[in-house]
Amino acid sequence: MQSFIRKPLAVASSIWIFLLLVAFVRPSILATHATTFSDTTFAFDKPSSQHFFGRGQVGEDLYSFAVYGGQNAVRSILIAVGIGALVGVPLGLISAWAGGRIDRATMWLVDLLFSIPVIMLAIAIVAILGSGITSAMVGIGFAMITRFARITRAAALAEKEELYIDAAKITGLSSFTTMRRYIFPNLIPTLVVQVAILSSIVILIGTGLSAIGVGAERDDADWGAMILRASENSLSEGYWLFFPACLPLLLTIVSLNLLGDALRDSYVPSGSVTSLTSTRRTAKTTTADLDVIDRAALFSVASLSVEFPTAKKQSPKKVLHDITFSVKKGEVLGVVGESGSGKSITMLASAGLLPAPGQITQGSTYFDGRDLTTATEKQWQKIRGNDIGYIFQEPIASLNPALTVGNQLIEPLLVHTDLTKKEARAKAEELLAEVRIPDPASRMKQYPHEFSGGMAQRVGIAMALACEPKLLIADEPTTALDVTVQGQILDLLSDIQTRRDMAIIFVTHDLGVIAEIADQVIVMYAGQVVEQASAENIFSSPTHPYTQALLATMPQNHSGDVDKPLTVIEGTVPSQTSIDAGCQFAPRCTYVQEQCTVTLPTLTLVGGSTVACLRAEELQSEVVNLTVSSTEKVTQ
Amino acid sequence: MLELDNLHVRYTPTKKLLSPAAKPVKALNGVSFSLGPGQTMGLVGESGSGKSTLAKAILKLTDVHSGAINFEGQDVTQLNRKDSLSFRKNVQGVLQDPYSSLNPLHDVGVIVGDPITRHLGIKRRDTRNQRVRELLTLVGLSADFLERKPHQLSGGQRQRVSIARALAVEPKLLIADEATSALDVSIQSQIINLLKKIQQEKQLALLFIAHDLEVVKHIATDVGVMYLGYLVELGKTETLYSEPTHPYTKMLLASIPVPNPKQQEKRKALRQSFINAEPPSPSNLPMGCPFANRCPVAMDICKKEMPDPTVTANGFSRCHLHTSGPKLDGETVVDFIKKQAHT
Ligand SMILES: Nc1ncnc2c1ncn2[C@@H]1O[C@H](COP(=O)(O)OP(=O)(O)O)[C@@H](O)[C@H]1O
Ligand code: SF4
Ligand code: SF4
Ligand SMILES: [Mg+2]
Repeated sequence: MQSFIRKPLAVASSIWIFLLLVAFVRPSILATHATTFSDTTFAFDKPSSQHFFGRGQVGEDLYSFAVYGGQNAVRSILIAVGIGALVGVPLGLISAWAGGRIDRATMWLVDLLFSIPVIMLAIAIVAILGSGITSAMVGIGFAMITRFARITRAAALAEKEELYIDAAKITGLSSFTTMRRYIFPNLIPTLVVQVAILSSIVILIGTGLSAIGVGAERDDADWGAMILRASENSLSEGYWLFFPACLPLLLTIVSLNLLGDALRDSYVPSGSVTSLTSTRRTAKTTTADLDVIDRAALFSVASLSVEFPTAKKQSPKKVLHDITFSVKKGEVLGVVGESGSGKSITMLASAGLLPAPGQITQGSTYFDGRDLTTATEKQWQKIRGNDIGYIFQEPIASLNPALTVGNQLIEPLLVHTDLTKKEARAKAEELLAEVRIPDPASRMKQYPHEFSGGMAQRVGIAMALACEPKLLIADEPTTALDVTVQGQILDLLSDIQTRRDMAIIFVTHDLGVIAEIADQVIVMYAGQVVEQASAENIFSSPTHPYTQALLATMPQNHSGDVDKPLTVIEGTVPSQTSIDAGCQFAPRCTYVQEQCTVTLPTLTLVGGSTVACLRAEELQSEVVNLTVSSTEKVTQ
Repeated sequence: MLELDNLHVRYTPTKKLLSPAAKPVKALNGVSFSLGPGQTMGLVGESGSGKSTLAKAILKLTDVHSGAINFEGQDVTQLNRKDSLSFRKNVQGVLQDPYSSLNPLHDVGVIVGDPITRHLGIKRRDTRNQRVRELLTLVGLSADFLERKPHQLSGGQRQRVSIARALAVEPKLLIADEATSALDVSIQSQIINLLKKIQQEKQLALLFIAHDLEVVKHIATDVGVMYLGYLVELGKTETLYSEPTHPYTKMLLASIPVPNPKQQEKRKALRQSFINAEPPSPSNLPMGCPFANRCPVAMDICKKEMPDPTVTANGFSRCHLHTSGPKLDGETVVDFIKKQAHT
């Protein structure tokens, strides 16, 4: 509800709709005159303090007519949308739930009804039931049935695929209960929006019918009838006559749509769905600590901090704190940590892709000697088109389902290079061949859903390679794949990497993958880098307690009897970074001491590794024994 | 207790008007095995190998084409309404995705409490909530989770709620389909330990499905390996991992990366000895062994005949190396693959 109140437009819309409802229930509260009030001597008087909207043909008060017209509008909606929803929604639900013959029969009926134009249906019903707004609305209501039935069915079918419906069935709930308690409530947001949209359509059609004389009587208090009368007299009396009916009509339609959207949004339980748009917030302060920037590196990020504004007037949520790392030409940097430790945000922010409303509060980025700290979105686009490639975790979801794979490859080539269309096509084919997709020419004509996960990830890689990048950022590119396919993708990437002498930043939460592919490793926890070392050191002498714990929890490193429980890290990653309360890892750390909860550890060189732990030095010797014994146990 | 006999499941694509009927997808092809009370069986295989279909078939969430699923002597595929309900009480499942397997609109009290009302007839709110609290404690959540909604829980916590819901009706058989796959290793280990503890305490039979062989090793006493709807190997866990008898099992094992650069280099070489090819489509399975196009030791017979399950020292295997293939001469399949890879 809070998200709702924060939207001023939504509040304004609800006030308008509330007024309409008052007009429906008791118009006399709002109206200043009765609809019977008339005095032809004052016909077509301009708006005044007594008659806000002026006076009409017989000297009637147009403001009061507009109010009573509102009553009529609400009644129309209730009849038409009511019939549509009360019949259509159950039809759609039954159809979706029963499937098979019942589904086909219902949908056949619905389609049949659908093939008759709405207005025709309304006119036909008027012919049967006699003229008047009520019978017109009954006609429109019948037409609405098809809309509601189709939308409900489609939404229910999608909902039926959700796992929790299976879960409900496992618990033995009856079909009816599942439908009533599980499926229907989840359709409400969709239906609310539909009710809003269809209500505004109903008003429009109703007004339209009355305006051509099929709906309400000519002299009725009805917006349509008012428009009809205005059109007869506007030439001689002026166009202001349209205003009393058209303004409320417009406001009602806009309000219905705004309110529908707002209600739906406030209904979604976790209001935290933010879309991933490529807006970059430029750094407010740049405390680029020149000491930490490795200028010899191909790509380096220094002291990067990121915040997300929070809903209430609380302090913003800090998600990254003082991240520093660099990648050399032709090197593979592995980034590891549990989910929520800030790996993705780090990579997105580093490539100028930080999702809104995230903000970079501090930090600088260097690529190939260039300072990108203050690069504009346009400059970033150029860099991403030419120098930095990006691969996402969900291979199929990250491709456009509506475009053929070939076109998705060709388009960026046309934008970022001066290749002709034909050359771009040839180049795209070459790229697909490079990522070892068999028969690239015919695969180019296919759509993403025709690709398996592994094949789709190859396409993702091909797209990233199209710009001949010097750096490839791959965010969990193999997490969603089978281990066998993961192996193929790793082989492919390391092959391309050697051939093109490209640098790769490889994000994963699997230390086994790190062992295979990485030269250098950074370990992240709660938005901070807690250890940085060569791959060799990470595995032979992991120093930070978190690195050690990550290694120890891997089932592969489980030492001793299989009956002994697996090693775990108790607790979870905190959802935001707090740099005031000492070490982030303290609540889960087995080596925690009192000082840890007071002093924030910073990265310092200990042995061959850079570690952010107050007890690093003292722990390093102890720890070596511990981990050597556990890794040696692993059988080939 | 649970016995699958030559189970086949097919998904028939809905026929579109005017277009020729599409071929059915053969999701399970003659799967047979049995699971005793208090036993834990692991089931592994790549995605699309039919693991989830098998879980769904046992949980009566999908139709069976042919074959039988016997639970305590009754064929599950032929149950009437009343028996169906008691079957549901005895067999429960924990599903893959902790994010979509809980109704987003219900709080934990309702999610876990619903089956209690349904199967145990406990309607009174306080007795029901008391029971829910006990269950939450059992799965390592504090009682104040009762009023939380799914979106307020982390992945691991959601999966604990799923387990609590499954245990609410005291089932005899629990099916966990990729119950830990979406979780971080550290959290995954917590859930594995929990499942194992509960399994032992309650003497549950557990069918544990996962694509991660390392995880399965730590919970299952027996492991079945699936490929394209076939159960290609079945055996005692320890031996299956140290001496797999099916080349596909070996391929899966060789694909798990080890967190140790030197050892991983060796394992990678072994992994690379397998042929890098896409598996055939399940709606168009080849005549012979479905693994033939990826198998480094495929023979002529493999392309012509589907190998039958053949008894091995550890269980059974569906591979011609054990039927009419070359004489292994006491050599293990793994040695054989390595030798072939070098020539
Ligand atoms: N749009 C967003 N709004 C608020 N917080 C976010 C948003 N996106 C990510 N976060 C938070 O940032 C932190 C780091 O997330 P992420 O980079 O996705 O971690 P990882 O990639 O390591 O799993 C998490 O606490 C996450 O909840
Ligand atoms: S600083 Fe203290 S709490 Fe933090 S990792 Fe080191 S020992 Fe553990
Ligand atoms: S039957 Fe032949 S092709 Fe199939 S796994 Fe055995 S050896 Fe390989
Ligand atoms: Mg991520």
